[in-house]
Amino acid sequence: MQRVKRNLVLLISSLLLLLIWQVGSMMLDSQILLPGIPPVAQALRTLIAQPPFAHNILSTALRAFQSFLIIVISATVVGVLAGRFEYLSIALRPFVTTLKAIPVMSIILLAFIWFSSGTVPLFSAFLMGFPVMYVQIEMGVRQLDRNLEQMCTLYEFRPSDKLLHFIIPSMTSWFIAGSRTALSMVWKVVIAAEVLTVPRYGVGARMQLAQVQLQTDLVLSWTLIAIMLTALGDLLFDALVHLAAYLKRKIDARGVPCSS
Amino acid sequence: MQFLEISKRYEQNVVFDHFSLDIPVQSILSVVGPSGEGKTTLLQMAAGLLEPDGGSIRKETSEEGSVSYLFQESRLLGSSTVYANVELALRRSHSSETERRQIALHYLAMVGLSGSLALYPSQLSGGMRQRVAIARAFAHPANLMLLDEPFQSLDIKLKFSLVDAFLKLWEEQPRTTLFVTHDPKEALMLGDAVCCLGDPKKPLWYQQIDIPRNARNITDAKMLAWEATLVRTLVNA
Repeated sequence: MQRVKRNLVLLISSLLLLLIWQVGSMMLDSQILLPGIPPVAQALRTLIAQPPFAHNILSTALRAFQSFLIIVISATVVGVLAGRFEYLSIALRPFVTTLKAIPVMSIILLAFIWFSSGTVPLFSAFLMGFPVMYVQIEMGVRQLDRNLEQMCTLYEFRPSDKLLHFIIPSMTSWFIAGSRTALSMVWKVVIAAEVLTVPRYGVGARMQLAQVQLQTDLVLSWTLIAIMLTALGDLLFDALVHLAAYLKRKIDARGVPCSS
Repeated sequence: MQFLEISKRYEQNVVFDHFSLDIPVQSILSVVGPSGEGKTTLLQMAAGLLEPDGGSIRKETSEEGSVSYLFQESRLLGSSTVYANVELALRRSHSSETERRQIALHYLAMVGLSGSLALYPSQLSGGMRQRVAIARAFAHPANLMLLDEPFQSLDIKLKFSLVDAFLKLWEEQPRTTLFVTHDPKEALMLGDAVCCLGDPKKPLWYQQIDIPRNARNITDAKMLAWEATLVRTLVNA
């Protein structure tokens, strides 16, 4: 019942958003400033029907996925080390603070000077997403329960058991929070970098071309696609998290013998 | 186990100053005392988690090796099942999975948790969590057992049932035990001897309890007299 209510509220607020858009479009009465829902829906249908559509989507998705993977692996390794070794954490602090404070556009523009247009989204997304994930992982290591650690020592847990049954489960919530935030950020930065660097294929590049030709309905269509890609990424991530939790429970249950 | 002339201080606070204490093999020594008088320090030194500044701790051969430690909180792994929490403490000492299973199931059955093997700590009550911790402490192959107020903050009914569970397991396999508590009754009911801390140089009160554990009754005149003395010592400490 609670779930139905929640979904109903979500549906009503989404409809309200569409209503505001349509009313705004009718009040402005300009297809360039803000086209209404029907022309954007029409433009979206045309876009999807065209052959390069999938190529554009896949190129952007691949860049986002690559950046995300690099962020997750590197930030986890560096974060764990920084959490364990205080001097490394102190040494990394100026880099992380700079990366957190630097405007995303500065990174993209600088990267565009240094690299080819295909590499810029990857590089920019990495630099923006890395500190977010790194901070979470480092915090997770620092917040490990010292009492449980002491218990593991006293009860002589094997290092592999300590890692599997204490450290990894304790770090999971930090890992999930960090990667979820990094994932949302990666989509935004990859598309922004594509807008500025205009690679051959990519959602951002198409958006930029539509904007130059004052095709606002197309810009909005690509924006909707970008929103859907981000939402799909989040859904996929949540599904993976649930699957992992489900599998862990299954494995745990298999490890419990019958008491009789 | 013997604490021989041990000294320990935290900055200006002298906790032990050439303090000596003897705990006979396979007996329970109850340790009571006001807060900050070194009860937990004594346990940590016995466990090897803390080194004394001076003096030494001598253990019998049968007390050497690993220790079982029962904490104030249950300290269970939140993402592991009740069964896994006990079984994990056996992995280093028992390579055979069958053997580990038998031991873990035996001790979990002794504390009445046979029906809760697949549950996670978050699905257990406070008392059940402490039972798992007791089962883990006994399943772990150690000849020295250290208890740091494990029955604290439990209601009286639960406390008695846990003390019962503990004693049942202890009688089955007696181990040298150092039992720290704030509760004089608990100390007298469980200990083969009771020691009251409060003076860095020597115990304020040390009493051998010469009544068999299963014949003890807290309303007995002798027990009441000991309790009164202990309370008086604690108040004046």
